[in-house]
Amino acid sequence: MNVELTAVDKSYGGTQALRGVDLTLGTGITGLLGPNGAGKTTLLRVVATSIAADRGEVRLLGRDPHAGHAELTRVRRSLGYLPQELGYPSDMTTFGFLEYVAVLKEWNERRARRHEVRRVLDLVGLAEQSGKRIAKLSGGQRRRVGLAQALLGNPRLLVLDEPTTGLDPAQRATLRRTLSVVAHESTVLLSTHQTEDVAALCERVVVLADGEVRFDGTVVDLVATAVGQVWLADHEVPGAVMTWRTGTGRHRVVGGPHPPGAEPAEPTLEDAYLLMLGPSAASLPA
Amino acid sequence: MYSTLPARSSASLTSMVAIEARRFARHPLFLLGVVIALALEAWVFFADGVTVSEDTTHAIDMLSHPIIPAFFIGLTSLVVAARLTRSTEVSAEAMGTAPGTEAQRTLAVAGACLVPFVAGVAWLAELFILLQIRGVHPYELWFGTMNDLHVWSILVALGPVACLGGAVLGVLVGRWLRFPGAPAVAVVVVAIGTMVGSLPYSYTDQGHLRVWVPWAMWHTGTMSDGEAWEGVPGYAQAVLTGNPATYLLYALALCALAVAGAVWHDRTARTARLRLVCWGLVALVVALYLTTAFTGIEEMIVSRPIPPLEG
Repeated sequence: MNVELTAVDKSYGGTQALRGVDLTLGTGITGLLGPNGAGKTTLLRVVATSIAADRGEVRLLGRDPHAGHAELTRVRRSLGYLPQELGYPSDMTTFGFLEYVAVLKEWNERRARRHEVRRVLDLVGLAEQSGKRIAKLSGGQRRRVGLAQALLGNPRLLVLDEPTTGLDPAQRATLRRTLSVVAHESTVLLSTHQTEDVAALCERVVVLADGEVRFDGTVVDLVATAVGQVWLADHEVPGAVMTWRTGTGRHRVVGGPHPPGAEPAEPTLEDAYLLMLGPSAASLPA
Repeated sequence: MYSTLPARSSASLTSMVAIEARRFARHPLFLLGVVIALALEAWVFFADGVTVSEDTTHAIDMLSHPIIPAFFIGLTSLVVAARLTRSTEVSAEAMGTAPGTEAQRTLAVAGACLVPFVAGVAWLAELFILLQIRGVHPYELWFGTMNDLHVWSILVALGPVACLGGAVLGVLVGRWLRFPGAPAVAVVVVAIGTMVGSLPYSYTDQGHLRVWVPWAMWHTGTMSDGEAWEGVPGYAQAVLTGNPATYLLYALALCALAVAGAVWHDRTARTARLRLVCWGLVALVVALYLTTAFTGIEEMIVSRPIPPLEG
């Protein structure tokens, strides 16, 4: 297993961000879902060795990153991380920035390093922008530069915090294709607010709420939890976990008592996710 | 308890220094400073000569000239180095999870400070090329009238090494001072500190006290108004007390201490070895300061008057 977390806690001052999180990940893509403030970013930072857990056991790639600088460095040699917010030095070009990170990742031989930078630029579709200053790229392109730096060196553990933010549908499709290739040999853990990305990409999904794991299983299993709890009604239904008017003019009703006259609907991952969060889902930002 | 890592950091560091050196050399502020310094040197050189006959003009005040690169290359390099040091902080969360450490990133920018040092050497080369066009006045305190080691020490310490020192100080500022405009504040403090700390002592019995400042004066320049000033006769110039040779070493030791102080910012780098290096450098700096202040030139060396030579 590449990621093994056992009873992991993490607090910031008086706020408990993670509570007794247990998580084991092998190769493949795992999606992390949860509302804002659920602890997703904290969990990703722990897995990315950006911060240390307060309590519990963390083993990454078979090593304990808290067991000293040498072990931590060994883990980091096989790690790629895209933080939620990543800034860039204003004077650096796309190629220059990636080359700098490649050096930090110990690509010391110049020719091999440059070849690797060109490889990840191709992978994220930025080969044409390699000589441009990052400051002049669009938001989506900058996000892909961030992804490219995480992909340097084919890491065995790839941690991506909202990688699809700012990407248009075509770019998201490209990202899915890229990650599906990477996931053959690596562990990919990504967080996103886009349930369709998780449905399209991840074989496994973890739902986090209030710092606790609410669900850990396959996407199919999560969707199955919503079977029989989603309907299409002709009018708004009080008491539902979530209801909204669809483009057809009918109301989609998720959870709550069976509305009279409503017909059952095929649940989606989003329906199951909203049901998993329960009544608190109604207060989620749109 | 833990096995040691394979030694990959030195190769990484060399590659990082190369990248940072390219960034330094291309920085517009640094380039502007270099251009101004080289152009100003040529202008001052020809503007300050002493004409002794219709076709003969001699250069004077050569030991005062290093203030040109120190100011225009050294101080701009302080700002540039601070900015380079801080620039990667915006990506710190991603870079922080790579095997390369903050200490390595700091050392890389410190290594890139050789770029302003080389610019300072280029200024020195320009000075010697200009001297092929116009010779030095025979009474000038210069090679032949002063100990060659002292002359070289003053030129190198106050020129190229001052350029290096400004840049290295920038790395220190970039690591430790987080408020906006910190590099500009550091420039003002260095400039005011040099003037306030140095000038009141320069011509007194306590002249040795001046050498602690960031850029210590060694040469008075020619008193061209003909009036005696602070014991230096009109049309004469003076070299101040102290040991220029150890001052050069003192300046280099200060640079090394600044680098160590910047590396110390990285908590993971605070090993017993680095602590030992820091304390060793502090001891070296104190020893070299004392040597500089209390050995070498014991009394001001005053030149013969430098008016136009009698035909």
